[in-house]
Amino acid sequence: MKEKKSVIFFRYALLTIGVILSCLPMIYMISTSLRPNGALYEYPPRFFPKLQDVTVENYQYIISQNKFYINFFNSVIVSVSTVALAAIISSGLAFVIARFQFPGRKVLFGFIIITMIIPGTTLIVPQFELAVKLKVVNKLWGLIPFYTAWVIPFSTFMIKGFMENIPDEIIEAATIDGADIFTVFFRIAIPLSTPAIASVSIFNFLTAWEEYPWANTVINDNAIRTLPIAIAGFFGQHQFTQWGYVFAMSALSLIPVILVFILFQKYFVTGLTAGSVKG
Amino acid sequence: MKTKSNKNKIQIFLLLLPGLAVFCFFTVYPIIKLFLMSFSKWDFTSMRQQEFIGLQNYREVLADKFFWTSFTNTIVYTLVTVPLQMILGLFVAILVNGIKKFQVTFRVLNYLPVITSWVIASLIFRYVFNTEGLLNYFLSQVLHVTASNIRWLDSRWSGLTVAMILGIWKGIGWNMVIFLAALQQVPIDLYEAAAIDGCNGIQKFFKITLPGIKGTILFVWVMLTIGGFNVFTSIKMITGGNPAHQTDTILTWMYYKAFSTGKFGYSAAVSFIMAFTLGIMAIFQFKAMRNRDRELEEIG
Amino acid sequence: MNKKKKFLAIMLAVVLLSLSAIAAGAMSPENQTEEITIDFWHHYSAQSAENETLVNVLIPKFESENPGIKVNAVSHEWAELHNKILISAGTGSLPDVARCDIAWLPEFQKMGVLVPLDQEMPDFADVSGKLLESAMSTAKIQDHYYGLGLNTNTKILFYNEKMLKDAGVAVPTTMDELISAIKALSGTNADGQQVWGWDEPGLYGWNLCPFIWSFGGSLTNEDQTVATGYINSPASVKAIDTFVSLYKEGALTGFNSGDIPMTDGFGTNRYAMMLEGPWKIAELQGAYPDLAYGTAPMPAGEGGSVSVLGGEDIAMFNTAKKEAAWKFMQFMTSDFAQIEMAKCGQIPVNKSALEDATVKNAAFAPFLEAIKTAKARPTVAAWSEMDNELNVAVTAIINGEKTTQQALDDLAGVWDQLLTQ
Repeated sequence: MKEKKSVIFFRYALLTIGVILSCLPMIYMISTSLRPNGALYEYPPRFFPKLQDVTVENYQYIISQNKFYINFFNSVIVSVSTVALAAIISSGLAFVIARFQFPGRKVLFGFIIITMIIPGTTLIVPQFELAVKLKVVNKLWGLIPFYTAWVIPFSTFMIKGFMENIPDEIIEAATIDGADIFTVFFRIAIPLSTPAIASVSIFNFLTAWEEYPWANTVINDNAIRTLPIAIAGFFGQHQFTQWGYVFAMSALSLIPVILVFILFQKYFVTGLTAGSVKG
Repeated sequence: MKTKSNKNKIQIFLLLLPGLAVFCFFTVYPIIKLFLMSFSKWDFTSMRQQEFIGLQNYREVLADKFFWTSFTNTIVYTLVTVPLQMILGLFVAILVNGIKKFQVTFRVLNYLPVITSWVIASLIFRYVFNTEGLLNYFLSQVLHVTASNIRWLDSRWSGLTVAMILGIWKGIGWNMVIFLAALQQVPIDLYEAAAIDGCNGIQKFFKITLPGIKGTILFVWVMLTIGGFNVFTSIKMITGGNPAHQTDTILTWMYYKAFSTGKFGYSAAVSFIMAFTLGIMAIFQFKAMRNRDRELEEIG
Repeated sequence: MNKKKKFLAIMLAVVLLSLSAIAAGAMSPENQTEEITIDFWHHYSAQSAENETLVNVLIPKFESENPGIKVNAVSHEWAELHNKILISAGTGSLPDVARCDIAWLPEFQKMGVLVPLDQEMPDFADVSGKLLESAMSTAKIQDHYYGLGLNTNTKILFYNEKMLKDAGVAVPTTMDELISAIKALSGTNADGQQVWGWDEPGLYGWNLCPFIWSFGGSLTNEDQTVATGYINSPASVKAIDTFVSLYKEGALTGFNSGDIPMTDGFGTNRYAMMLEGPWKIAELQGAYPDLAYGTAPMPAGEGGSVSVLGGEDIAMFNTAKKEAAWKFMQFMTSDFAQIEMAKCGQIPVNKSALEDATVKNAAFAPFLEAIKTAKARPTVAAWSEMDNELNVAVTAIINGEKTTQQALDDLAGVWDQLLTQ
């Protein structure tokens, strides 16, 4: 079936417009971060700065501050820990639910599905009360277990779907060879579910990396702040916002996300299409 | 797999244990606590001795006009952003599905807004939609659509419009990827058969494509509805609920009452009402979808 | 299979990395040393000269004078600080010391989280004796003192010299002159952009009180027990009415989310006048050093020239490490710290600091005059809630949902209830 050239051209044209609209805000962010703070209210406003105005002084300022590294490092610790814990815990949960019959299995899985429907922020008040009881307010430990708990339902749901599809013969063959359940789990189930685990891990990374409401509630000290609260803190001074700094810091904090996205692009799609999880 | 030996039973339990522990401790316990809190007088001064007050928090919430403003805002936000995201996402997916070169490039670039964090995206939008910002300059001085600057962020509906535009902009990429995958599952021979029957593109879309991806549509619809109710960071960053709580959504209002005025009991009641509403809506969505299936079957 | 192994290896590395990071986190300095760390929360904004002075000058000096005590200073945005303190009070995670807006102390005292310094600190009289009585009075609730005065301030008129000259407007000295000046200075500039005669960045007591008082109105009775007949008195209604109609004429703006922020708008000749505090001088110097502007007292109305009294106290919470916290509070109110802070526009309350040459020649001299006639916002525990209600009421007037009289009548009823709680 041959399609008309004009139809194909029309598709590309529309898609290009769409992509421009998608990327425009980010380009504007970067172009704003490259001009001096005083030029932000210039008239007429410009999409791109005048060439002679282009400066990296906002980046220099952000990078020269220790705070940025601390915030960046905090975000890395929190995101990586969340990803690792969630991957291990959800795989175990998913494996058992997918492959074994035990009392309460249906109830457990039903509960996991229900918690997927309740947005995490709804629970912010009782979870805060819990954080206070556990004395983890103003600590990174006040973030990691909570993020892990938030992402476990989705992760379990997705990985379970994958583990159900492992052919019975493979597992039976291993059992006949005398393998115990740990061996089957670590040697067979996990390696065969790698695509699912990888794709949920990417989403979990993004979730933890960008989370704002909970971190803003639990964390006080500058030295424990993650990047989103640090960025929002720049903006907080309502009478005087230094947009150049805000956007320079934002651009820097997007780098790891874009790297992860580009490196693991393949898994993104696998994850989305296998169980269809929203990032 | 059999679970005969004790060793195996122990190992199964050990695999289950961390998940169960985290789940019970950090999710189930807070849900129960939320329920109890919503029936208690619980504020800054009574943090440690809570008093059971029955339905009083719920009465207070339902009589509060600010709650109803935030509730309406959330519903409007969801009703506007969900269909638009789905339609635009599906449209882009169909376009991408119809091209051969640069498919991956377009998919990746369209997905960029999805991975941009809410904090950053909201700040960019706030800057662009500023009364003196670039967009107003473009509208009034370049396109001459308006004579004076539009005060985007200053009133209820225009402020919400900005948040909705952000929500749609950020959501299209996700919809596109999901729908693209679904489109590729629709058997090609159905289209070929339809072409032989003389169906045009639009007929093919309604007769083959839509029924072929209805499962995905339902899934996306439910997920986006949950996402719509979950709107928080964009409102907090773009309008902060201003002017005087008129642009608050359920969650920003709940957060304000809890963490700015200390009415934790009230906030718990708001959260519960929201969870309840979402549950009802999910049931309704599944029902509606099933009915439409029946209709489609009857037509087909 | 090979690829999967590679992935497993990556996952394993990730796990190890995160575990080691957590282990590193567990060995935080707190566990290693026997030093006392006191937490000090404040709302000097993160990029301000005040914060620089605090972090780079004051705290190092204090720590070198008091070995064994470390100060962990945490900056919060103003409203955020208030909320964080309330939450922390409810959950028992308060800092040791905080810099509190004078309007907050009654509320915190009512919650029972502040230390009555005159009862617990034997040398309280010596320390407070060095500070201005007017500043100490802001920390006195009923019969006890719950803080030390830290700095004081008020707002005076800032005007753009060029804009006034171009419009042929003299610096206003009375309320009537101010209103006609605001109108005369509004319109469009050479680029066709809208300009406003007045910028008001909020609709709270801090913003509206100077108008209400200068019009001869008031918020409550003298005893701060009743609002009806005061906030809805004819003079108060007239003040709010005038304010709202200036906004509707396009002569005044600033409190909307989409408006140009105050400093930027004033610095780029979009706002001709504003009422602001001494910190604005340093801020303008940093961001718009070329701007020609002047300052003048708050224009006088029927109620005289009455601006709003601001300022902060430094207070200690009852969970504090009291000895170290008290040392830090004394340090922050000492003449050394007060003179350093004066360089960034914080008006000292330490008597000997006020005699110092640097302070006497500081840019805030005009503010010292205005403080004499400035009035404090109601010193009641419910003030934060009253303040929010005021914002809601005035927003309703601006949106045309209520007339000024209606809105203020309703507000008076709500305030009466809050005042009796």
